[in-house]
Amino acid sequence: MGEKEGTGLYEALNPWAEADPIPLKGISPRVADLAGKRIGLFASNKPAAPRMMTVLERKMKERFPSSEISRYNAEETFLVLQTVGKDKERFEKWIKSVDVIAAAVGD
Amino acid sequence: MEEMGKPTVSLVNKGFMNDAQSAASSKGWPSLRFVAEDVPSECSVMERIDASLEKAMDEIVAGLLRPLKPEEASPKSREGKRLSRIVFKGTLQEVNRFFYKRGWGDGLPLIPPTEEAVAEMLTGTDLPPDHLVARIIPRMGKATVEQIAVNAVMAGALPTYLPVLIAGVQALADPLSNFSAWEVSTGAWAPFWIINGPVRHDLRLIGGTGALSPGDIANAAIGRAMGLIVKNIGGARKGIEDMGTFGNPGKYSMVLAENEEESPWAPLHVQQGLAPEESAMSVSFPNCHWTLWPTATDAESLLRTIAEGLFPSTPGQSWTNLLLVPTHAKTLADMGWTKETLAGFVNDHARPGVGKDFVSPTDGKGDVFTVVCGGPGSWIVLTKGGNGLTKKIDLPANWDGLVKKYKDLVPTYARY
Repeated sequence: MGEKEGTGLYEALNPWAEADPIPLKGISPRVADLAGKRIGLFASNKPAAPRMMTVLERKMKERFPSSEISRYNAEETFLVLQTVGKDKERFEKWIKSVDVIAAAVGD
Repeated sequence: MEEMGKPTVSLVNKGFMNDAQSAASSKGWPSLRFVAEDVPSECSVMERIDASLEKAMDEIVAGLLRPLKPEEASPKSREGKRLSRIVFKGTLQEVNRFFYKRGWGDGLPLIPPTEEAVAEMLTGTDLPPDHLVARIIPRMGKATVEQIAVNAVMAGALPTYLPVLIAGVQALADPLSNFSAWEVSTGAWAPFWIINGPVRHDLRLIGGTGALSPGDIANAAIGRAMGLIVKNIGGARKGIEDMGTFGNPGKYSMVLAENEEESPWAPLHVQQGLAPEESAMSVSFPNCHWTLWPTATDAESLLRTIAEGLFPSTPGQSWTNLLLVPTHAKTLADMGWTKETLAGFVNDHARPGVGKDFVSPTDGKGDVFTVVCGGPGSWIVLTKGGNGLTKKIDLPANWDGLVKKYKDLVPTYARY
C-alpha cells in the first residue's frame, strides 16, 4: 500500500487533476438606464423559464414603460442549437437586436 | 450574449448558485452576473413565480445598471498554485481526513494513493503515465493515465481494472454519451456499466446472483473509481456542480457483467459491433430502477409484466435497460423473441410522461439494452435513463501475467 516502512505514514499523491488555463473574459459595461432601451428576455426550454420571462416581461413594462421588450424562447434544453446548431443565426440576430438581456437558463 | 457585448444578467434559483458560478468559471466567464431568486425548480404556479420575481426585481435591474468593478471587467484566475505532487503525509486516518476535508472522497474510507501504489496500478496498462486519455467535464480536467490511476488506487481497484477505467473515461468523454448533461442534472443519472467479453472472467466481474449488490472488489471498485474520477478529474461535486435533487446510490457503483454463456442471444458488445472475443464496457445513465415480479413465467406473462412495468417516462429517460435472468431469456427466445424484437416491444408499450402543458419529448421511446444477468430467481429489472454507448477495452501486452498475479484474490464464505 505504500506505507513508509515502519513509520505508519503514507505520502499521498494529489487526486485533483490539472486543467488547462482558460482565458478569462470580463463582462460587458452596463447601461446607465433601462428607460427607452430594448430589453431582451431569454428563456431556455426548461418548463419554468418561459413562464418566468412572461412574468418578468410584465414587470419590466410596468417599471420601464418606454422600453421595448423582446422575447427569445429556446427550442432545446442544452443550448447547443443556439451556440453551434441550427438556431445560431437566429439567436445571434436576436442578441444584436437588443441592448440588454435577462436570461433564465436553468431548471 | 456577453461575448457579443450585451450586458446580461442571469436568473438562477438560489440553490443552484454554486453550480452556475462553476459553470461560468469553467467556460472562462468568472464574473457573469447572477441574480439568486427562489422560483422553485420547474415551477408551473404563476403566482409563485410572480412573488419570487417581485422580490428579485431590484437586483435584476441593478445587475444591468450597476457599473462594473475592476475584477468584473478584468477577472483574475481563482485557482491557486497547484499543490505539490505529494499532497499530504500522514497516517491512514490523517490521509483520509485530509482528503475528505478537501472534497476528494466519496464518504467511504480511501486507500492512500502513494507513489508505490500508483506505480503498481500503472502496471495495468502499456500507456505512459502522462498519456492524456480525455478531458472530463465540467472542469475539463485532464484525465491522464496517472491521474486515473491515482483515483483508482483510492477506490481500492486492482491494476487489472485500469484498462476498464480507461475505456470508461473514453466513454464519458465521447460526445455521444451526452455526459455533460447527465452528470450535473437534477435528475441524478448514475452511470451504469455493463462489461462484456473475456475480461469479465479475468477480473471476476459478477453477472449472476447479486451482481448489483456490494461484496465483490471488481464490481465495487470499478464503479467507485469512475465516481472519484468524475469528481476529482472532471470536477463534478455533489451540491456544487452535480445537482442531483435526491442523489442516486448508483453513483457509488453500478457495474455488472453480462452472462453471455447462459444467454440465447448475441452479447451486448457484439450487438454494438465488436467481435465476441473482444472485451468492452457499455454505459448508460439511468435514474430509476424498478424490479418486477411476473405472476407467471410463460412468455406471454413475462411480456405483460414488462409492458405493465414501464413507468411513464420523464425527460431524459430515453434509454431502457431490460435485465433478464437466463431462464426468462430462454423462455422468450424459445418463442422467437430476440433482443431486437424485445426492444421494439418495450418501445411499443412505452408511455410518455404527461403533465399540464407538457408531454415528454421522446414519447418515452428510445434505445433498449437487453442484458442477461442475475441469479436464480424470477424477477425482471428495468432501468430508464439517458444515452448509451460501448467502448472496447484495450489490454496490455502482459495481461495474462497480470491476471495470474491477482487471481487468488477471491472471497470465501464460512458455512454455518
